[in-house]
Amino acid sequence: MKDSLRKSGALLCALSLCFVFTVTAGEAQKVPISFNDYHGYTGAVKYLKDIAAAYPNLTELQEIGKSNLGRPIYVLTITNTKTGTTVDRHVEIRHPRNAEIKEAFHLKSYDGKPGQWIDGGLHGNEYTGVEVCLYIIDKLLSGYGSNLEITNLLDNKVIYVCPVVNPDGVFNSVEREISQRGNWDLGAAKDSPRDLNGDGHITQFRYKDPKGASVIDDKDPRLMVRLGPNEQTAKQRYSVVTEGRSAADTMRPRDQETGPTTSIDVNRNFPEGWWTEEGMPGGTGSYPTSAPEAHALVEFAVNHRNILMVQNFHTSGGFTYRPPGVGPDTTMAAKDVAVYDLVLGKKYLEIIGEKVPEAWQNPDRMAEFKAKLRGASRNKYAFERGYEMPRGWIMGYSEERDQRYGYGMVIDWWYQQYGAFAVTTELWNPGADIPGFPKIDSQAPGGRNEQERSLLKYNDEKYGGKLFVNWKPYKHASLGEGEVGGWIPKYRSNALPGDPLKYVCENHWQFELFRAGLLPEIAITDAKAKVLYSTDNAYEAKAVVQGDQVTIKKGGGKGKYKIVEVTATIENKGKLATQVARGSQLNGNRDDVVWLIGDRGKTEFLQGSPWQRLGVLDGQMKIPGQETGPALGGQRGGPGGPGSPVTVTPQMPPGIPGMPMGQRGMGMRGGQQQPQQTGPKREVKWLVAVQGDAPLKIVATSQKGGTVVRELAVR
Amino acid sequence: MKTTKIIRKSMKTTALLAMACLVLFSLVLLPAHTSGQSKVQKSPGGYHGELDFPISWKHYYTYDEWTKIIHDLQKKYASLADIQTIGKSRQGRDQFLLTITAKSTGKPETKPAMWVDGAIHGNEVNGITCSLYCAWYLLTRYDYDPYIYELVNRTTFYILPGLNVDANDSYVRYPNTANNPREPFRPMDDDGDGLFDEDPTEDIDGDGELSTMYVEDPAGDFKLSPDKRRFVQVEDPREEALRFRRIGSEGFDNDGDGRINEDDLGGPDPNRNFPYDWNLRNGYPYPLSESETRNVMEFWLGQPNIFGSFHFHNTGRLIMFSAPPAARGATLTPEQQRQVQEQNARRLEEMRKTNQYAQLFDRIVDRNYQGDMDALTEIVTMGARILKDYRPTMSGLVGQAQASSYYMLGAYAYLIELWGSPTTEADENKDGRVSDQEMMKWIDIELGGEGWINPHKVKHPDLGEVWLGGTAKKHISRTPPARYMEEEALRNTQFILYSASQFPKVEIDRVEVRPATDNLLWVEVSVKNGSLYPTSSDRTVQMRRDVKDKLTIDTSGNVKQLEVPEGQTILDPTNPTDRMQTPKGKTAEFRLAGKSSQKFAYLVKMDGGSGWIEFEVSSKFGGTAKKRVNLQVGN
Repeated sequence: MKDSLRKSGALLCALSLCFVFTVTAGEAQKVPISFNDYHGYTGAVKYLKDIAAAYPNLTELQEIGKSNLGRPIYVLTITNTKTGTTVDRHVEIRHPRNAEIKEAFHLKSYDGKPGQWIDGGLHGNEYTGVEVCLYIIDKLLSGYGSNLEITNLLDNKVIYVCPVVNPDGVFNSVEREISQRGNWDLGAAKDSPRDLNGDGHITQFRYKDPKGASVIDDKDPRLMVRLGPNEQTAKQRYSVVTEGRSAADTMRPRDQETGPTTSIDVNRNFPEGWWTEEGMPGGTGSYPTSAPEAHALVEFAVNHRNILMVQNFHTSGGFTYRPPGVGPDTTMAAKDVAVYDLVLGKKYLEIIGEKVPEAWQNPDRMAEFKAKLRGASRNKYAFERGYEMPRGWIMGYSEERDQRYGYGMVIDWWYQQYGAFAVTTELWNPGADIPGFPKIDSQAPGGRNEQERSLLKYNDEKYGGKLFVNWKPYKHASLGEGEVGGWIPKYRSNALPGDPLKYVCENHWQFELFRAGLLPEIAITDAKAKVLYSTDNAYEAKAVVQGDQVTIKKGGGKGKYKIVEVTATIENKGKLATQVARGSQLNGNRDDVVWLIGDRGKTEFLQGSPWQRLGVLDGQMKIPGQETGPALGGQRGGPGGPGSPVTVTPQMPPGIPGMPMGQRGMGMRGGQQQPQQTGPKREVKWLVAVQGDAPLKIVATSQKGGTVVRELAVR
Repeated sequence: MKTTKIIRKSMKTTALLAMACLVLFSLVLLPAHTSGQSKVQKSPGGYHGELDFPISWKHYYTYDEWTKIIHDLQKKYASLADIQTIGKSRQGRDQFLLTITAKSTGKPETKPAMWVDGAIHGNEVNGITCSLYCAWYLLTRYDYDPYIYELVNRTTFYILPGLNVDANDSYVRYPNTANNPREPFRPMDDDGDGLFDEDPTEDIDGDGELSTMYVEDPAGDFKLSPDKRRFVQVEDPREEALRFRRIGSEGFDNDGDGRINEDDLGGPDPNRNFPYDWNLRNGYPYPLSESETRNVMEFWLGQPNIFGSFHFHNTGRLIMFSAPPAARGATLTPEQQRQVQEQNARRLEEMRKTNQYAQLFDRIVDRNYQGDMDALTEIVTMGARILKDYRPTMSGLVGQAQASSYYMLGAYAYLIELWGSPTTEADENKDGRVSDQEMMKWIDIELGGEGWINPHKVKHPDLGEVWLGGTAKKHISRTPPARYMEEEALRNTQFILYSASQFPKVEIDRVEVRPATDNLLWVEVSVKNGSLYPTSSDRTVQMRRDVKDKLTIDTSGNVKQLEVPEGQTILDPTNPTDRMQTPKGKTAEFRLAGKSSQKFAYLVKMDGGSGWIEFEVSSKFGGTAKKRVNLQVGN
């Protein structure tokens, strides 16, 4: 019964009211959360468990695997678990095969809804994303029942949040303050960072070194300024190493954690573009998904085919990567590029307060922009596309150098192999995320130092200087006299806790909420069962197929056999299509489908197979710069009334040759697509012979657009 | 211990003169290997221990049966075998692995290893027989057969009889078609209707076999043969006969969609699921998505001693090997291709005059991979000889296990397609195919009727009344009737063992000492690999994962190695091809190709009348060998 809850809008309303009633005003946030410091792995897990306990009807907490060091990886499913259905709840399966083989595979009802995936902490030292995930969880759950948009969202869609993809990396980076990108224990490694002076923090050690690459800043003596490779100076040179290490590190965590069997950069361990063109390993790990974290994520994803939107939070920079990272834009469908840039990118730039390219605002004039760029840009991809990528919304692939960004990155996998609009947002840009903070281009000469000085000042003003440990003398066992001090590493490269972090969270919650609003949504907008004919004898009321015409023979009187014409309109009421452009061709994905289900022993299909492919239903949104498909397919032949011969033109091919339809039992027909229909709507029709008053049920099901059910009384 | 007398004369410094003195030196050898404890038994009457552990090879074993067999084998031959599980299948079965080597001669991981897996495809279960047979052959014969004794002493065999254990077991135990179940049981929506594995095949008449369904249909293409044992094509459309339409394999329409058996059990093809050259279309959903394949890869990665691998499949009687990549830029025009093929055909014809099993393959490989191509060609040539009616061919990539074995581990990998449709047995007119009449004749005469189902009517819940008949698919077409398996298992075992016998083996071939001037001596060492395989594959070299062979010199205290410029030296001007390397320091690093040797020259200074020099060659896969030369100055 609960599977068909969504069939009635009235019932939905009743349910919502029920929740409004139980979630009383003022108690919206059942599990309080603050963003005054990072939660790390431990804090995030505690929060997830508390949330799951507090909202049993809106959440499900699942362990999807264990990290390299055995820490559980959690996904919180957020949706109204009482709503939603999947097609396998409605099709009665006969299974006379041996009991040994347990092939029954039921999705959870709510996994049949359109979905969005949000994750953070895939790189251990980029844990601002963990906080944004927790913030989004809080907003969704505390908003349910009081905020209409959120209530609708959780009733009809499902959000999967995996705040910490890489527990080992986040744990070390936050709980132990050992900045760690990969999935091992850097703290146990040879020459690992250590708290030498016992001040409770692993900061830095600086010592006088004629060959050192750093000097003390003139304006703020706490700041160490790196010199250029050939830069001359009259000042004292210093070397700076991470506290506890005996050799200068390169500032690139990737290089610190070397060794393929020791640490894996999880975001180079996914199956898309992992190999080099020469057939050698390009990504990290022994093979794609060799990292348990990548394996867990991919396995979850392929068993949840309903996800169309994906966010993979990283730090830092305050911009977003869209795919591709392993190849140029020509490896993507133009339609998807338009969705990415002109829909998602445009909104993202507005949210972070950066200028939206002129071409995105005027997609109708794209030809003009292309022509203009052709003379002005040396980027061949840009003038094919019509615009250069703006700072805040880029792809990993370097168009200037025609060079890939890396091997085996997660968003390339999501887009190319799974079929989802995946992005990696690099959170945290102090100039944008701290109101009043000087707008500094950290890439410009001296910009980085200028930003550092401003951050130190901000630390003094807002945090009483707590985030920075002043330099104190220390004698290093192998490097000699020097000083220990510097930023507490936890507060580096991540949004500063408190207001800046909350600002980042709020912006990106808004972006994700916007993206959730674009998800497709399948609906049966019209459904009719019309009795064309009734008789006592099923054979007498049989349809005869001649060519592409079905003629129903006349018979006499009313009876318990009915010939019923069922028509329905299936529509995608969501904004985006039910798959990315090439999505339905990816193995594991499928077309949208509609079933007509009757009582197995009492329903005979005269025309139209029990299930029919609908193709991919477009969304309601016109994708800027993209042609929309033609309108609905051709007219149906209008059936006459009872007592007169009824002639209909089948909309589907007549099945496998040599398989006459309408015979007792069934031939081998079914599953044909109606090729001429495009756009967001499909009209479907069946002709069935029904015994007695056996009910009929229409189930429209789309992997990423959801499943809906309509029961039809035969009268 | 014998010593060599060095007769000191007043000598010139030229090497040429030293050559003349060569005859004055002889070598002192240390025994290369102490023999193991086990004693080779006499085998009167050709007995080789087979009845020490009797087992029938005319039987398809279920998972429970064959796992019991290998556990019993391990108990009986505990000094030669270990059992472990490399992990569990989707349905929770252990993937048991036998490790076979003489424990007395060293731990398994210290020896070069041959990997054998029995059945990656669920339905190809005679591979289980072949791999079990191989294990049994090694264990029972160890004490009786010097060839096996030597192999088991110096080689490790990792044998995984069933890889795809769930589907293997289902294939053996239940009625199935020839093609199913082939894959691990990941739920899949084959027909795209939103349901998973909802419409598999079923044995509708309960006779234990899956046959073919027909329905009566006046417009059908089939009728019964005069003897009523077969469905045959209607030739004259005007003929009056009871006609049938073919539906397909036995089964119901479980989901009521009007189609039958369209969403059978089974997920991704496990032999498209390995990481090398994997793609989504063939290998959905992702590399090593199945625990059955991932467990194998994880085991491989933990065993860097794997040097070769065999992977059993069927059908087709093929020896497929993972060939190195074609040389880049070596794309030929169709005309050039034709020329190369013609040339090869002529060469092959010539070669076959002396060796009727000679092989030649069209692929032009990069120079860096030529050694691998040569070794593989030699091995499969011998394979063709051992397996007789098998055809060697290059195997594909696309996520296949043997491709990952070669391209990721650098192991020499062979896929064996066992059996074939019974062409050898049944094809009377030698047209290369078996007609229905030929098949029936074979079944009637040689199989006593087993495997044929006479047409008969049964009730069907979806189709009303259906007729069933034809071959019983399982052990007639895909896998051979059980009585045919043993000979094939024996020959394939012999091929595996031949390949293992050609694993590299390093030796110190010769040590020669030539007096130079005063108390200086030239010491020349020749190290040799007498096997077909190089000491490390070209692929491991290209991956920069090869371990170099090492030659180490040790001397008595009064013998000092002198520094000679590192490089190549020609010691004998009359024979400039006789090049020697003059290594710097105590250890020289190199790599020995198959059937090759390398020479090294050391200049040493000896104080006093006697001393010694010892050489040790060590190779990751080729083992180690030592030789000591005692030197004594005489008059």
